[in-house]
Amino acid sequence: METVTLTIDGLQVTVEKGQSVLQAAIEAGISVPYYCYHPGIGVDGSCRVCVVKIEKMPKLQTSCSMACTDGMVVSTRDPEVVEARAGVFEFLLVNHPLDCPVCDKGGECPLQDFSYTFGPADSRMDFPRRVFDGEGVRADVDFGPTLMLNRNRCILCTRCVRFMREVDGDAQINIVDRGYGSEIATFSEEGVHSLMSGNLMDVCPVGAITTRDYRFKSRPWDNPNVVDTTCTLCSKGCSTSAWLKAKPEWAKGSQLIRITPRFNPDVNSYWMCDIGRFNYHWIEGDARLRRPMQRRGTALEASTWHEVEPRLRDAVQAAGSPDPASVRFLVSAHASTEELFVLKQLVEGLRGAGGLTSIAVAWTRTAKNQPAGTRFTIPATDAPNVNGARDLGYRVGAGNEGLPDLEDLRTAIEGGRVKALYVLDPGPEGSIGDVSWIVAARQSGTLPLLVVQGVLMTDLCAGADFVLPGAAFVEKDAIYTNDQGRVQAASRAIAPPGEAREDWQILVNVAAALGLSLAYSSSDDIRRALATAMPGSAYAQAGQITFTRPVPAKSWLQSSNPSERWKWDFMFQDLPPVKGHNVQTEDMGREGAYIPLRAVE
Amino acid sequence: MAYEPVLTKHINEPNSYTLDFYMKNQRGYEGLRKALTVTPNDIIEQVKTSGLRGRGGAGFPTGLKWQFVLKDTPKARYICCNADESEPGTFKDHVLMERNPHLLIEGCAISCYAIGAKVAYIYIRGEFYHVQEILEAEIEKAYTAGYLGKNIFGSGFDCDVYIHRGAGAYEAGEETALIESLEGKRAQPRLKPPFPAVAGLYQCPTAVNNVETLCNVPLIVLNGAEWFAKLGPEKNGGPKLYCISGHVKKPGVYEASMHTTLRELIYDHAGGVLGDRPLKAIIPGGSSVPLLTPDQLDIPASFDGVQKAGSLLGSAGLIVLDDTVCMVWLAMNLLHFYRHESCGKCTPCREGCDWLYKILQRLERGEGRSKDLDLLFGVSNNIVGKTLCAFGDAAATPVLSTMKLFRAEYEAHVREGRCTLPAAWRAKQPLFAGAH
Ligand SMILES: Cc1cc2nc3c(=O)[nH]c(=O)nc-3n(C[C@H](O)[C@H](O)[C@H](O)COP(=O)(O)O)c2cc1C
Ligand code: SF4
Ligand code: SF4
Ligand code: FES
Repeated sequence: METVTLTIDGLQVTVEKGQSVLQAAIEAGISVPYYCYHPGIGVDGSCRVCVVKIEKMPKLQTSCSMACTDGMVVSTRDPEVVEARAGVFEFLLVNHPLDCPVCDKGGECPLQDFSYTFGPADSRMDFPRRVFDGEGVRADVDFGPTLMLNRNRCILCTRCVRFMREVDGDAQINIVDRGYGSEIATFSEEGVHSLMSGNLMDVCPVGAITTRDYRFKSRPWDNPNVVDTTCTLCSKGCSTSAWLKAKPEWAKGSQLIRITPRFNPDVNSYWMCDIGRFNYHWIEGDARLRRPMQRRGTALEASTWHEVEPRLRDAVQAAGSPDPASVRFLVSAHASTEELFVLKQLVEGLRGAGGLTSIAVAWTRTAKNQPAGTRFTIPATDAPNVNGARDLGYRVGAGNEGLPDLEDLRTAIEGGRVKALYVLDPGPEGSIGDVSWIVAARQSGTLPLLVVQGVLMTDLCAGADFVLPGAAFVEKDAIYTNDQGRVQAASRAIAPPGEAREDWQILVNVAAALGLSLAYSSSDDIRRALATAMPGSAYAQAGQITFTRPVPAKSWLQSSNPSERWKWDFMFQDLPPVKGHNVQTEDMGREGAYIPLRAVE
Repeated sequence: MAYEPVLTKHINEPNSYTLDFYMKNQRGYEGLRKALTVTPNDIIEQVKTSGLRGRGGAGFPTGLKWQFVLKDTPKARYICCNADESEPGTFKDHVLMERNPHLLIEGCAISCYAIGAKVAYIYIRGEFYHVQEILEAEIEKAYTAGYLGKNIFGSGFDCDVYIHRGAGAYEAGEETALIESLEGKRAQPRLKPPFPAVAGLYQCPTAVNNVETLCNVPLIVLNGAEWFAKLGPEKNGGPKLYCISGHVKKPGVYEASMHTTLRELIYDHAGGVLGDRPLKAIIPGGSSVPLLTPDQLDIPASFDGVQKAGSLLGSAGLIVLDDTVCMVWLAMNLLHFYRHESCGKCTPCREGCDWLYKILQRLERGEGRSKDLDLLFGVSNNIVGKTLCAFGDAAATPVLSTMKLFRAEYEAHVREGRCTLPAAWRAKQPLFAGAH
């Protein structure tokens, strides 16, 4: 790596050649404001707040567009910079509605945050502010099926325009009119129609673009706990953050308040798709399974684990003893690698080495409607772990690209050769594919026993003899192997509801009930066993994988700007959680002098 | 001091725009024929020696600009002729294209040859509709006669000239905005670097030159660099077109050498101030440059002369202001223009121009407060030097310059709640009555 060394505010900084002064400053922990710059989109140089003074250059320069060179001497705190910057901040706010108290971005708004830090204390603007669609609630207009737009708040940084052009690949947003009349618009006011639309809320540095899903639901200080996890709604496996609302357990509403992308250069960069972002309501929804159930006559009755386990054993034994091969399994590729590993041991314990042939793996594929030039492709495979299943020896066909093969299982069931079917279905509704034929076979009696370990009251559960409530992906620590073959960790953010258990635990208990002792007392144990079982593979390190726990945001800034959270953590790690302090007078602890925040009389 | 015009000598003769006329009276396309006998580098050297400086506003040496055009590349290269002429007070390119179009066409061809381009685009201001028609017809004739197209004069040099009509934005005259607009995008400037010479039109090396600049090129090739340089003061050689407007008896386009003083331009060429009223101020280079006062009339109207006097020759649009002009109104008038024309890309210009205009309107309405003067000054200074392109500085200049020279008038507006100039009514025709 070729590097250059420069000085920023007296601090020697060595960075990769080609980096901008702004990037160098951010990496060195020096706070420089920016709006039009976003690390995932090209440089625009239009907002002008990132100005710095560079020795030997006549004018102030925008640091986002200035490449670092050896020996460059940069100041971000020169009085000239401070004054110019404050001037730009004044301009940014002259037409801003300043409706922070009712704005969804309030509390995590870079315009708010940077203005407090770098802007003037008050504004000299005394003319009526620019109004586009109306004032108050009338300012919010439809911006497509997932978004709302408030043009009065927009600072015209064009991040949204450039995101659509450069990342989404379909330039649906642009600016119409010019100068003081410039406004964000879509063609014929159709709004944004894209599977990437949610990212626009993240890139928008103000409350101009909000998602219908999150708006008015919470305030940032009410959901300070964040868990870094992984999305499991397709085979890409984007790194995400799950945001938890701090609320007492008895209070209504869900804990999981939103999911945002987390920077991962190898997988998803700064982005995620709307499927992963918005499809989480089922996790704490009414259809969740909270208690084990068993069939009594035509009805499913709630039961307890204690009661259900021996009965399950009896039922499976009765159905399967004449022919152990008549006990079959169907597992969704939403099952984690730990679960697949335990299940494999379970069938091999029951049936010997060839046991895996009794397990069919199911998933769905959906073509995602995306522009040809997109930089973020959403795979067609809707399950996170087809590759994990293959690595463990499951029959999943050649690649991640294929469709599941359930023909064999279906013929066997419909031909009456299957006496008991055990289904593991921990994904959202429908993610296991069409299983109506199983329901039909159970109803007609062709299939005498159906056990479903799942998370939602689906038709399949409704037709089952036993229902075992498992955990959704944010409710358990687990690993999944994405379409690149990358073994990724998805961390537990919340607990499974009611008596629902983590799926590995259910499988271990079922195994015990069936007389097999699988001595795992945590999912860690399983990963260690997996690592031992598969040396030299991508799983050899599985035992060392760490999972994150909910992190309380240390300061008000830490929860800012979700898509850049990693960076903000960097930038503001030393700053006290106090608004109104001034970086210009604040000592960064490097030059020795200590300047108190308030002058002491 | 007999100066014989070379760019505009024939413009008032009938059919001066035709190819026949050009061939008969202006040694038509001889410059191109001659240029093709030497190397492209020779042409660049000649233009450098001539001292030709860009006539579009910045006065940048044209030969140097061409030298910077990246030659060591497999990419195409382009000449973009800037015919967007939208600076208030500027109307010289219009005359050249309307009355002497072949000079420009020949200039485009020679310039293409010099930088190794095969294509020149003439980006013409949207409102110049009839000029475009003339240009198009004459380009067609040049093709038919073999002065454009393939293998010109059997030299193996190919050159195409296309016209692209703008949609009526002043900012489209800024060179990178012009390029964006040519590419079919919004006319907003690009970040520099990279400069057009390295990555311009379609990311290819490009030279953007003003119409008048390109019209000088055939003359340099034909008559020699020394001839050209000697027409004017040192580093300010060649013929120069001056657009004289405002309160003069004979407004119009005048060709002169840059030895000519402002006084000569106003009093000899343009016949003096209208109604022989006293002169109050001059804007020497189009609306974007600082004002000069009557005591500065004897400076040469050259790039360096005007700059030394504290202003800029810019596009050589001389706006003459008599004693009836209210300076607050002048600033408001110009800010109405700038506020309307700001492309809106960068924050200080987008927000600042509108704000300045509103404050000036308030002063004009007689509702100004004394702190408004500090505010005007502060807001202007927050624009200057902080914008993406030169537009921001240009927009703040009328305010800063009138405030510097005529602060008393601003103060009077605040104090009296009205304009105190005796004849201010004339400048207050309901020009912007409905405008907001
Ligand atoms: C806001 C703005 C408007 C401009 N408008 C014009 C114009 O209408 N015509 C022009 O020739 N140059 C214009 N320019 C200058 C061009 O950017 C560029 O400098 C010029 O075309 C270069 O040509 P030259 O070197 O021949 O002068 C403008 C510059 C700015 C900043
Ligand atoms: S809507 Fe948001 S992202 Fe788009 S230009 Fe406005 S402030 Fe920037
Ligand atoms: S200075 Fe004005 S015209 Fe130039 S880029 Fe900024 S907004 Fe556009
Ligand atoms: S971040 Fe540098 S100009 Fe906007």
